[in-house]
Amino acid sequence: MAKIGVYIYTGDGIAEAVDVEGLIKVATKAGAAVAKSHADLYSPEGVAMVKQDIEAEGLTAISLVGMSPRYEYKTFDFPGVYIDKTGIRELVAWSHRIDPNDEKADSKKEHVQELAEDYVRMAVTKLQKAQMPTPDKLEAPNTRILVIGGGVTGMTAALEVAEAGYEVTIVERTGELGGYGMQIRKQIPVGPDYSNLINPIAPTLIEKIKSNPRITVKTSTEIARIYGAPGKYRVSLKAAGTKSEWDAPVPLTPEEKLDANGKELSAEDQKKVYAAKNEGRNDYMVEDPNAELFGAVILAAGWKPAIPAEGEYPHLAWGNPNVLTNHQFEQLAKSGKLKRPSDGKEIKTVAFVQSPGGLNDDADFPYASAVTTMVSLKQAKYVREDYPEDGKAYVLYQHMRTPGQYEYFYKGLQDDPGIFLTKGAVTAVKENGKGGLTVTVEKTLLGDNIALDVDVVVLATGMLPATKDEAVVNLAYRQGPAFRDLDLFGGYCDSNFICFPYETRRTGIYAAGPVRRTMTIEESMEDAAGAALKAIQAVKAAEEGHAVHPRTWDFDYPDFYFQRCTQCKRCTEECPFGALDDDEKGTPKPNPTRCRRCGTCMGACPERIIGFKDYNIDVVGSMIKSIEVPDDDEEKLRMVIFACENDAYPALDMAAAKGLSWSPLPRIIPVRCLGSVNVAWIKDAMSSGMDGVLLLGCKFGDDYQCHFVKGSELADRRMANVAETIKSLGMEPERVKLVQIAIDEYDKVPGVIDAFVEEIVGMGPNPFKGF
Amino acid sequence: MGEQQQMQPDLSFVKGVMASGGETVKKCYQCATCSVVCPLSTNDSPFPRKEMLWTQWGLAGRVSGDVDVWLCHQCGDCTKHCPRDARPGDVLAAIRINAIRYYAKPKALADVFNSPGGVVGAVIAAAVLVLIVAAVWSQVTGNAFPFPLNHEGKVEYHEFLSVIPIDAMVLPIVAWIIYVSYNGVSRFWNDISKGAGLPESFTGTYPKPSIGLLLSKYLGPAVMEILSHSRFKKCGQTAERARGHLLLLWSFIILFAVTNYVFIAEDLFHAALGLISKVTPLPLYHPVKLAANVGGIMLIAGILMVKSMRTQKTEEGVLTSAAPDWVLIWLIFAVGATGIGAEVLRLINIAPIAYPVYVLHLATIIVLFLSLPYGKFGHLIYRTTAYVFQRWADDVKAGKAGFGLEKAVGASH
Repeated sequence: MAKIGVYIYTGDGIAEAVDVEGLIKVATKAGAAVAKSHADLYSPEGVAMVKQDIEAEGLTAISLVGMSPRYEYKTFDFPGVYIDKTGIRELVAWSHRIDPNDEKADSKKEHVQELAEDYVRMAVTKLQKAQMPTPDKLEAPNTRILVIGGGVTGMTAALEVAEAGYEVTIVERTGELGGYGMQIRKQIPVGPDYSNLINPIAPTLIEKIKSNPRITVKTSTEIARIYGAPGKYRVSLKAAGTKSEWDAPVPLTPEEKLDANGKELSAEDQKKVYAAKNEGRNDYMVEDPNAELFGAVILAAGWKPAIPAEGEYPHLAWGNPNVLTNHQFEQLAKSGKLKRPSDGKEIKTVAFVQSPGGLNDDADFPYASAVTTMVSLKQAKYVREDYPEDGKAYVLYQHMRTPGQYEYFYKGLQDDPGIFLTKGAVTAVKENGKGGLTVTVEKTLLGDNIALDVDVVVLATGMLPATKDEAVVNLAYRQGPAFRDLDLFGGYCDSNFICFPYETRRTGIYAAGPVRRTMTIEESMEDAAGAALKAIQAVKAAEEGHAVHPRTWDFDYPDFYFQRCTQCKRCTEECPFGALDDDEKGTPKPNPTRCRRCGTCMGACPERIIGFKDYNIDVVGSMIKSIEVPDDDEEKLRMVIFACENDAYPALDMAAAKGLSWSPLPRIIPVRCLGSVNVAWIKDAMSSGMDGVLLLGCKFGDDYQCHFVKGSELADRRMANVAETIKSLGMEPERVKLVQIAIDEYDKVPGVIDAFVEEIVGMGPNPFKGF
Repeated sequence: MGEQQQMQPDLSFVKGVMASGGETVKKCYQCATCSVVCPLSTNDSPFPRKEMLWTQWGLAGRVSGDVDVWLCHQCGDCTKHCPRDARPGDVLAAIRINAIRYYAKPKALADVFNSPGGVVGAVIAAAVLVLIVAAVWSQVTGNAFPFPLNHEGKVEYHEFLSVIPIDAMVLPIVAWIIYVSYNGVSRFWNDISKGAGLPESFTGTYPKPSIGLLLSKYLGPAVMEILSHSRFKKCGQTAERARGHLLLLWSFIILFAVTNYVFIAEDLFHAALGLISKVTPLPLYHPVKLAANVGGIMLIAGILMVKSMRTQKTEEGVLTSAAPDWVLIWLIFAVGATGIGAEVLRLINIAPIAYPVYVLHLATIIVLFLSLPYGKFGHLIYRTTAYVFQRWADDVKAGKAGFGLEKAVGASH
């Protein structure tokens, strides 16, 4: 049993808002061995006071009741002592200010005091139930980094890793290093001066790679499978283009699990279909004895040039030998002086078409971007280089996208007298009878519709990420060889989340370069450096036993009470990071270093057998039960709010700091992710007499903002099931509600809470109150 | 699909503008800040954004048909506010130099009159011509050459060159200037009529006002505007430039008047018709002589003001000066300085310096006026034409200037 100290901060208006002595009494009554207040708790004196008590009284768990847990997280650090924080400054004092002239000041003060007392009870209860997390350290993790792809991104990543002192292996599918960086005549600059083209830098990188003893290069090689977890990946390599028994097996798609009539196949039959689909491949849980060991992976598989299908873009005369993609034009430029494909005549005039939609749509080609805009400018310069006297290049754009320093690139190339730029809609490309083409452009800046005679038309087609059509990483994971939700991200392997660049949905595998989004060589190199650091971090995290981003301080790891597991597979299916594999029967097999500690598995488990040492079904359930529920006062209804600590909770903090207030009836419990909210907690709340439960989570859908990808979306689905249960008990299903809140919606969140409280007040008290 | 226009960008035109002071033209990215801040631009036809784009695209035909190029006085407001440092004011100045060259015949002379070396060469050539004529004339008169003195033993330029050889030399040159200028202006008129979208006849010609209408209704107001510099004075950044320029303009008018007085009295009435006795040299108290001296001083003061303002504004960065600008300034200065110098040297009677300065005076005047259809001096005829055209075209477009569209003026005829 923990020996608990509760320290109440009385500064910042807390002492004025609540009866601190009353809170100390509540803490003591709830079981705290020491309960004190301090006007400057977070100062060195405050820390010294706590330290003295720890030494004198042998405290093992401390609760700091004052500032939001989001602040001052480094001040109190006592080895072996569990520290917890409750933010009554924000959740009570600042958000429930009472005007002293208010007629109802006394009754309001009573509400606020009860609110603060409940937070103290919850704090003590948490300490009574929580255990000190113990790190799950990986013994002797492998620290070698695998880089997939030997282009500029991969080479830069490898060099960065090597320079940081780690061993690195580059696996390249083709016979040579260099990737697309070696197939170009000139390239967009990688630093100042930005105003002109530079020679490709790939050859320099290749030289550096060859002379670096920490870098091993394997060309004409592919990944058969990546088995294991960060710090202990076992990677099976194979010759490019060959089949191997170690190729990663592919799970059945939802369609494949159905029979001809659309009924789900039996488990036995599914196994047969699966076996047929993966014939000649070893099961994903089988270890390859000859595999190479790695600690983390950088995916720099790059991109493929998009080539429109036959018959596509008829109005742009796609199919005519003189209509080329930017990639084809680059090849032409690389091979020598520009010559027209149809007859070998010199290419003196070229039209670069950025947007294929004519008058109907101003979007650029699919998978195009600022990069393709700049490639057009670059290639326009080729025409001028080859024919400085009379070469003309027309860049016909709907969007001139040259972000950041690349504005200088735009300026530099615009300066060339032979490069002509106009916004406009390219509506037709036709043969002009003179061996060339006539391009019609409408709505131009010149004020008219214009027709241009050119030798060649170049389409600014896009860059398809390598992960669009194949898994590349070939993970031997239960959830399959590829990243999840590739369709959602257009095939880009990134989780596409602005807060977490490089992060994929597979811990330990970091993406860089155009496999993540279209990038210039300069951007890819910067990206490679970032991914290299992330990969090294992942290896270090595995070694020290803490989570990787976003809970990097977290040394805990979910425990499973396997004896009671029913092999329902919810956790293995729902884990956003594929951390859980399973055995033949379907019992989960955890991979601690893949886990990001969101608790989605805990929220999913119907048997409640998954939990963390300080965050589990019992801890939160007991906190709920510690809330005092007056069963005879209709004025004092009680609600629980589960607030996502990544978005909703900071929004509440900000609302409080801005002086916004909300009803004093609900009690707010921060949760790691709404995905970790187990329906058991809802049931606990309703059975202990709460009148309603509100879940505040992140935005979900295509532009989701969840740190753990699908948490709030999963919670929403689970709550639909809860609604059924509540209905069967004769209660209004609306008593449980989920609302999406973005981190910047601090101005809306008080209104959301008040509206919910009003709704519950309208329904009246929970009929089971008092039972 | 709407009507479309075949585009043939002329790369040499872009390069030409860039080489003659408009090297920033390609920097424009069409934000139109210039047209917004321009104090002279009109709502119906704002400039200079469109001129920047047309020049970038090498559309020589459109630029040459654009009267707005000549309504610009290079105030520099656009240049000052341009976010991209494309310096539209300088670009339009370069376009004007190119336009004068475009309408000049033969074009090679435009290159001569726009370069310092060419102009110095032309002055030397003209001086040699004057010397040859004077030498030949000395054989006719029997006067001493090269330093003849009159019966009082004083310097008298009449002894060196009388009105007959001067007219014999100058009148053909004047005829040539008038011919080339007329040719250029009428082609210019046609181009800007086309550019302004005036109705084109089935023979491909554009409406022209009758001389009477032109003089009575359009030339007068345009000239009045020029004489007051009311438009030039609207310039934001460089309004001060208008002062020196105005002084200079009036000095030209005074000097033109006194020259004509001398031409009529001396050349016509005395020498040709023998109606009156010899009038030159005029005594210093003579009103015409007084006017001439005042005009000469105004010319020198005006050109020095123009020069110092141009230098100052160049340093401020609101305008850039190209070779044609300095060539014209120095040429006018040379005309004024040699004129005053010749008079002073004559009065103090130093023959060995007075006659060479007089020769240079004649030579610089010849070169200055010869440069009218070729060099920057051409802005005198083209800008005046543009001022007249703008008034006329506005009336035509508004249906007030004849050709069946006309009501008010037509009824009066």
